[in-house]
Amino acid sequence: MGFSFDYLIQGFVTALSWQNLFWALVGCFIGTLVGVLPGIGPVSGIAILLPLTTVLPPTSAIIMMAAIYYGAMYGGSTTAIVVNIPGEASSVPTAMDGYEMAKQGKAGPALAISAIGSFFAGTISVVALTLFAPMLAEFAVVFGPPEYFALMFMGLSLVISLSGRALLKGVISMALGLTAALIGQDPLTGAARLTFGTSTLNAGVDFISVIVGLFAISEVMINVEQRITAIDTMSISDWMPTWADIKQCGWTMVRGTGVGFFLGLLPGCAPSVTTFVAYDLEKRVSKHPERFGRGAIEGVCAPEAANNATSTAGFIPLFSFGLPTAPSMAVMLGGLMMYGLQPGPMLFQTSPQFVWAVIASMYIGNVMLLVLNLPLVGMWAKICKIPFYILGPIIVFCAMIGTYSIRFQAFDVWVMLLFGVIGYFMRKLGYPVAPMVLSSVLAQMLETSMGQALLISQGSPLIFFTRPISAIFMALAFVSIGRGIWSQVKAKAPEAVTDDAEY
Amino acid sequence: MKTQRKADIIVGCGVALFGVFILFASMFITGGAAHRLPPRTFPIVVGSLLLLCGIALAIKNWSLKGADLAIHWPDSEGIRTIAVTLVSLGFYIALMDPLGLPLATFFYLAFSIWYLKRSKWLMAIVISLIIAVISHYLFIRLLGLSFPAGFLFE
Repeated sequence: MGFSFDYLIQGFVTALSWQNLFWALVGCFIGTLVGVLPGIGPVSGIAILLPLTTVLPPTSAIIMMAAIYYGAMYGGSTTAIVVNIPGEASSVPTAMDGYEMAKQGKAGPALAISAIGSFFAGTISVVALTLFAPMLAEFAVVFGPPEYFALMFMGLSLVISLSGRALLKGVISMALGLTAALIGQDPLTGAARLTFGTSTLNAGVDFISVIVGLFAISEVMINVEQRITAIDTMSISDWMPTWADIKQCGWTMVRGTGVGFFLGLLPGCAPSVTTFVAYDLEKRVSKHPERFGRGAIEGVCAPEAANNATSTAGFIPLFSFGLPTAPSMAVMLGGLMMYGLQPGPMLFQTSPQFVWAVIASMYIGNVMLLVLNLPLVGMWAKICKIPFYILGPIIVFCAMIGTYSIRFQAFDVWVMLLFGVIGYFMRKLGYPVAPMVLSSVLAQMLETSMGQALLISQGSPLIFFTRPISAIFMALAFVSIGRGIWSQVKAKAPEAVTDDAEY
Repeated sequence: MKTQRKADIIVGCGVALFGVFILFASMFITGGAAHRLPPRTFPIVVGSLLLLCGIALAIKNWSLKGADLAIHWPDSEGIRTIAVTLVSLGFYIALMDPLGLPLATFFYLAFSIWYLKRSKWLMAIVISLIIAVISHYLFIRLLGLSFPAGFLFE
């Protein structure tokens, strides 16, 4: 099933229902809030709210989740521009010129151009998602268990790119995530594993507890340690950019979108990478590169466009192959699975109403975010002023609510607390968190597809290398692993991790 | 564990020991049939991976020479604040079932906000009260989620 206007129109009809419009608006609002508030990022924001959406129908829930995700990407620029605190690593380039603009009294135009650039990139990327995702899904429809296993194996080999220069630490982080996911019943035989005879562990460790602990709780611990108290903000008067500003940023938006979208299709290429690439490209093509870092409006527009394009591009491998390319996409995948939907080629065939409604809602969500962001710029900037002694306990409260509502068991919240402590030490000791998240979500699918494939081949692992598509994925995975090992062997310094944990 | 190198050696050894523990625990996993993936396969793979990577990390850092990175641990005040934050969260979880969501939330928030900013005790009480009431009406009454309401609201 390729792209079809009929399905897209049907999707718009579903997305434009009052109920779905309302939840998209709620998602955009919460997402922007999550992006604006320092100390809580998109991954923890989605993970905390995911269990609460069980009261909604699946389509409304995923529309809301997607809106939270790209809303957070919009909102992340506000703290970067107004208070020079990039909420996520991807907002760092925005802060470089955005804060300089704010100091010159141009915070309003900087925030507005960031919203306009995000809107442009988001919309163009959704058009590309509409066209490409069904095409790729059509190609992937021939996938059987061996191909899925090879794809998931390649997904896990992403730990190499997610680990920066800390490969060994990345693999340890991945293995710890797998260990957490293995606790409970074997998905194929139902045999108890690593439960040590306790009935509580028999139900397994939910990955939401792991993610919320790793991101939200450890973030609160880091902030508490640094004793962040209050944040000073600038006053914002004129918020509209001039026509000359918009004209100046015309091609910047196009370039930022292109860089963000195409790099965003590559597994492991996070917004934290693409925003820097887009910023650097803009500086290179500029006739006045010396203005960058001193309040150049293109320096705000380029990373923001790239950020949103990358975020949308991540939905293509997720919808077409069921492959999450980043922790945020892994949480979205978990959300889809929670509703009994299996992302991948069959999603377009078995649940077309659902998938097209979600895609259509992205067009609407982008418009909503522009409307929400432009006039409310002043309000969002004021929210940044909430001091951490209030915000921190409220984040913990939200984390508690989100985790407890997975199964309404205190056990899940204890697991969250445990992984919060683990996450804190991982950050302190330079262990990347992203591989743990990725592996805890992929573990069950990996094991199930491996088991099914071995059943088909009567126990022969050669099945993964004799089927062409599977062989290609396995080869790519081994190349990725081999390259990582080689760079490790050459490295002479202590392992250091790149700061791309939250995206 | 003041430097990265020392920390990596200690953590590497710890991870290797944890790998041994997982391998040992895997021996007690039963089940499986011909041509099927035995349930203990993945735990064995993961345990071996932890063992090997832990040893490799420890050895690599043991043999490392040259500049080392310092780890920025919190000062005593920071450690105390983190410990109090974690213990209060532990109490919050433990009190959730006996006291119910609204009351446990009130106590947790009031204490945490007051602890982080001593001078704002009235604000702590007001904010906690508002959020506790909202939590009851939003999550228990409106959304109908199965949170414990506690003796005050039952």
